[in-house]
Amino acid sequence: MVYRKIEEKYIFILPAVLILAAFGLFPAVASLILSFTNFSLAQVGEKLNFVGLANYLKLFSDTRFIFSMKNTIIYVILGVGFQYIIGMFLAMLLYEETKINKFYRVAFLIPMMLTPVAIGYMWRMMFHGTYGPINHLLSLINLPVIPWLSSVRIALLSIMLVDFWQWTPFFILALLAGRMSISKEYYDAAVVDGANTVQTFAYITFPILLPVSLTVILIRAIETAKIVDIIYVMTGGGPGVATESLTLYGYISGVKLFNLGYASSIAYTILVAVVVLGFIFLRLKERFE
Amino acid sequence: MKYKISKIFSNIILIIWFLFVAFPLYWTFITSFKRPLDVYQGPKYFPFIDFKPFFMAWIDLFTRDRAQILAPFMNSIIIATISAFLAVAIGLMASYSLSRFRFTWCFLSNKNIAFWIISQRFFPPIAIVIPVLILFRIVNLLDTRTGMIIVYTAFNLPFAIWLMKDFIEAIPKDIEEAAIVDGCSRLQALLRVVIPLAYPGLITSFLFCFVMAWNEFLFALILTFQKAQTIPLVIAGQSTQRGIEWWNISVLAIITILPALLITIIIQKKLVSGLTFGAIK
Repeated sequence: MVYRKIEEKYIFILPAVLILAAFGLFPAVASLILSFTNFSLAQVGEKLNFVGLANYLKLFSDTRFIFSMKNTIIYVILGVGFQYIIGMFLAMLLYEETKINKFYRVAFLIPMMLTPVAIGYMWRMMFHGTYGPINHLLSLINLPVIPWLSSVRIALLSIMLVDFWQWTPFFILALLAGRMSISKEYYDAAVVDGANTVQTFAYITFPILLPVSLTVILIRAIETAKIVDIIYVMTGGGPGVATESLTLYGYISGVKLFNLGYASSIAYTILVAVVVLGFIFLRLKERFE
Repeated sequence: MKYKISKIFSNIILIIWFLFVAFPLYWTFITSFKRPLDVYQGPKYFPFIDFKPFFMAWIDLFTRDRAQILAPFMNSIIIATISAFLAVAIGLMASYSLSRFRFTWCFLSNKNIAFWIISQRFFPPIAIVIPVLILFRIVNLLDTRTGMIIVYTAFNLPFAIWLMKDFIEAIPKDIEEAAIVDGCSRLQALLRVVIPLAYPGLITSFLFCFVMAWNEFLFALILTFQKAQTIPLVIAGQSTQRGIEWWNISVLAIITILPALLITIIIQKKLVSGLTFGAIK
């Protein structure tokens, strides 16, 4: 009986392990190997030609790479940071169990799971200079018209705005769930002591929500580090390369410029960054459980 | 008095946020009923007042563009459904194993295995997709539904396993053990006891994986060209093909986000748990 049990547990988990090894572990190792070659898609079946660290050294002098790295860091730090702050703020407003709040809670989470490419298109229509509603509304109230997607500086913010639209709901939802699990007694005690709203937030809500906050921030940072869909549809990385992310540049150099070896070295820089963030997430998760 | 002011203030903020969330969706919806003229004359906001709604774009979708849209649409449905089903089936077995047995071999503790599984989901798709592209080219799986089903099954497995772990751990062990004492094998216990009890959880996980596969873009962009193209690729290709035929693009966007939207509302309670691998319940 004991012997059979041991066998069964491996059999049950085996299919999942095999699939994840084949489509997670193997590609990750293969990418690393490719990143030391100058392999291109035309060479399938031929011998790998190793170039040592050449790809990685090239990254340092590739201004396009450095630019896309800078953009990605901006998307992660500014984008996620802003989503967290606004998400926290809205979660606090939504806390009270009123009828309208219950409606809002459902309405607000909708953008989160919608197809990013479709969202990109929706916002492209919104941002359009002549036929889009946003600039039209701005001009109605005598504000200057903004070149949302055609200006080098603003395009990056426009992409972040769309990501903000889609992912702030995630912070609202997670932080609201966290807020609801805090015992009411803390707040009653605080009111007795004469604490105001800002103080109760700073000394009770925020510290208690810190673990949840760190978790959601990390998850979003990891996901945002791979951002590509919205950019691909809205600007294609442009104007110039003003909004290009690392993943998009990896795609372009691998699939459009056929240099899979170089693309792999770009992919690996993302992977290293994400693994570091992921490792922190797992440690945190372990600690909170 | 102070309370009242903060109440009004909070209501105003929430209304503004609601408009911010709803407006792009509303805009896409009304644009799908506009004729070219209604778009080119500048923004019009209210159907029946500003412009007369027409079903032109919707009719085009089912007539002129039918051939172009139908195949990718079917691809998306087939690929998302089968891959989500497989992820749930394979994930169920794995999560059952992880929550009912103890792994002690070497550093293979349950916790380490579970962490390894999540870590797979953290890998950036661009690093995964290049070797898969080469592999698929060698084994002739490029631009096939089978290839995409395999990739999306793998892509969704970590989510499926972590979502279902919660559900399975909530089922008391006693019931299965009673079944096993009565002569059921583990597999039978899983099929006859656990599945009926974990049913809602399985559906939730299935829907979650379905949306993830439905929305996925980068894998589809690199691993398909034509035959196995999914619906997000059709949308992404619109700009070059059509310029700003927004009425058509709006229709396309609506039929693309509609399944995701409905499912999001159905599984709202489990969304956060799913997206954070159970770190937040």
